[in-house]
Amino acid sequence: MAKIYINEDYCKGCNLCIHFCPKNVLEPSTRLSKRGFPMPVVAHIENCNACGVCELFCPDFAIVVEKEEAAKK
Amino acid sequence: MMTAADVVKEGVYFVEGDEACAIGAIAAGCRFCSYYPITPVSEIAEAMAIMLPKLDGVAIQMEDEIGSMHAANGAIVAGLKAMTCTSGPGCSVHMDGYGWAIKNEIPVVIIDVQRAGPSNGVATLVGQGDFYQARYGPHGGNSEIIAIAPWNGQETFELIIEAFNLAQIYRCPVMFMMDEVIGHTREKLVVPPMKEIEAGLVDRIRDPGVPPEEYKSFGHLDTPEAISVPFPAAGDGYGLCLSPYTHNEMGYPSTTLKDQDRMARRLIQKVRANRDKLVKFESAFLDDATSVVVSYGCSARSSLTAVKNLRADGMKIGFFRLITLWPFMDKQIYELAEQADIIYVVENNLDGQLSREVQRASSGKAEVIHIGKAGVEMHTPYEVMDAIKQHLSGSSKG
Amino acid sequence: MVTETKIHPLVEEYFRIDRMPHLACPGCGIGMVMKYTLMAIDELGIDPQKFTWVTGVGCSSRLPYAVWKGDCIDATHGRPLAMATGIKLARPELTVMVYTGDGDCLSIGGNHFIHACRRNVPITVVMFNNQIYGMTGGQVAPTTPLGYQTQTSPYGNIEEPFDGAKLAAAAGASYACRWTAFQPKRIATSLKKGLTSNGFSYIEVFSPCPTQFGRYALKLGDPVKLAMWTQQNTVDLKKAETMTSEELRSKIIVGEYIDVEKPSLVDRYAELFEKAKRS
Repeated sequence: MAKIYINEDYCKGCNLCIHFCPKNVLEPSTRLSKRGFPMPVVAHIENCNACGVCELFCPDFAIVVEKEEAAKK
Repeated sequence: MMTAADVVKEGVYFVEGDEACAIGAIAAGCRFCSYYPITPVSEIAEAMAIMLPKLDGVAIQMEDEIGSMHAANGAIVAGLKAMTCTSGPGCSVHMDGYGWAIKNEIPVVIIDVQRAGPSNGVATLVGQGDFYQARYGPHGGNSEIIAIAPWNGQETFELIIEAFNLAQIYRCPVMFMMDEVIGHTREKLVVPPMKEIEAGLVDRIRDPGVPPEEYKSFGHLDTPEAISVPFPAAGDGYGLCLSPYTHNEMGYPSTTLKDQDRMARRLIQKVRANRDKLVKFESAFLDDATSVVVSYGCSARSSLTAVKNLRADGMKIGFFRLITLWPFMDKQIYELAEQADIIYVVENNLDGQLSREVQRASSGKAEVIHIGKAGVEMHTPYEVMDAIKQHLSGSSKG
Repeated sequence: MVTETKIHPLVEEYFRIDRMPHLACPGCGIGMVMKYTLMAIDELGIDPQKFTWVTGVGCSSRLPYAVWKGDCIDATHGRPLAMATGIKLARPELTVMVYTGDGDCLSIGGNHFIHACRRNVPITVVMFNNQIYGMTGGQVAPTTPLGYQTQTSPYGNIEEPFDGAKLAAAAGASYACRWTAFQPKRIATSLKKGLTSNGFSYIEVFSPCPTQFGRYALKLGDPVKLAMWTQQNTVDLKKAETMTSEELRSKIIVGEYIDVEKPSLVDRYAELFEKAKRS
């Protein structure tokens, strides 16, 4: 289990996180951030194994992935 | 371990102006010289290549003058006193890095041993055609720089030390305007003890006096006339931000009128507002002078002899030599123009550069006559005298 | 529903937060590589105060400038390698990294590039190759493949491109490689090699540029489609040696071109100083 944080001030809606996620955790949405970009949503957190690929590929440092133990602390 | 005193030994020498320049630069604390070979300046680079490594200093022949200029900028950013040396064609190539240095307030010393131009001109022979380029070469305006010009080998040695000091004090590039005659003429050079020289050296202030989290790369933006502004080096822990873009006080790129305006004011006023403190000149025979010969560098040597000869013939003519070329000494030239009826400007170019500035600064108070020569040969004293006599015989003021 | 938010720990540790978000387009590869760079710095325990980030002009140069919390020295177009040479020689204990682009490094900066390689200046250079001039609106670059349409090659590019990594190796670099932005492990290894090595390390990264390269050259302006195209067109160096130039035209060749150890320019100067004192 894991926690995914998305920073809407940084995210530019490129959707690379959605594309690279091997577990289909993230999905696109039509909801626009304050800056006008369409935001990804964490649709299936139960599938997430905190591999961190979404965080790794995000060009904007907009995703932070934490393993559940760390999140509990 | 060697010290500067081991390399710059007290004594009397007989050397070319180029070599005197290199000796002076080492004495001034220069420990980085980047260059590209070009006549008539290669001798400076060659002397630096011999002396600098003895003091763990870097002499590096870069791939071109743009590289030389930027490498010198980089060395200064990292904390050293640095210089680059070239002639007119190399100065044209420098402009990119020169502009960067102006904008980021880099205390770099740039030596231009002028030769006949334009373009490659005559590599081995004299010219004085870079006067305007020294000040106006880089695009964009919005700045002032300092340019100084020696007229013999001894003064070259003394003034290059002064150039390094001025660069640190004003945090500004200093153009050191020699010419091929001075560069290639062997003359007596008296080198004082290094201890004496060291007592007069100015070092840049590396400690900004605030903790790193409060440091602003251009925190002095709102005090445009401030001098001796601190300049920490890369690696000192202050998080320098230096770029070619218009910046705010943090050094962050900015597109606002406010930042453009105050950046420009700073780059202009730090020199212009301190002009009277800064300018140096030499004059003689002015007390009764009704005309004056104005010149700099090698042209001044012939001019002085010409003035002395004309005075011996009874003419009330004075001598005025600029040592500081930029910022231009408007006040001093205006005073000359108020006193004298005619100002003769002797310079080794035919388009008229110094004479235009003198004309401007005279504000119509005196007639300004350009006694030019295209380059290749310097004026002889008799050429100056003949030009003056010819002007007087043709003039109603004769 | 707004997802919970957190500032990325690398941003908190290494960036000037007031300068975020950075100015890259959506899907740009530069941000990814900046992240890998910070990870390498973090893993190696490099002191940020002794890490000088030198940049030129272009998107890849604008991104870290005044965002990195340490010293940011942004030179004019094409000149970061000359400036980095001066910085490194003046203060050899600094770790000097250069971010440059294909135009900055191989066009206007070409001369400084080959000489910095030749001199083996001990710096780490990341060259972002998006095969186009991004910042100025999509003009042809010295790395744009033959035939590609750009703003200044409206009928298709008629010039053959450089291979920057091959050029670096031929000019004398100790280490030269190319990866794509979607190969974080490879880039991380190469970055760590570069940052701990005693030589000129050239790390070229094919960096997706959806806004200019994607739209004009490939008609693929979507970041995800460009990412897929990139991964589909990546060819290993060994495999590339068996392919024709026509087959390779739009391929991105990845691999290590050279990896040797030899004295750096700083080493040579140290020897020179001793020699000069003895003479």
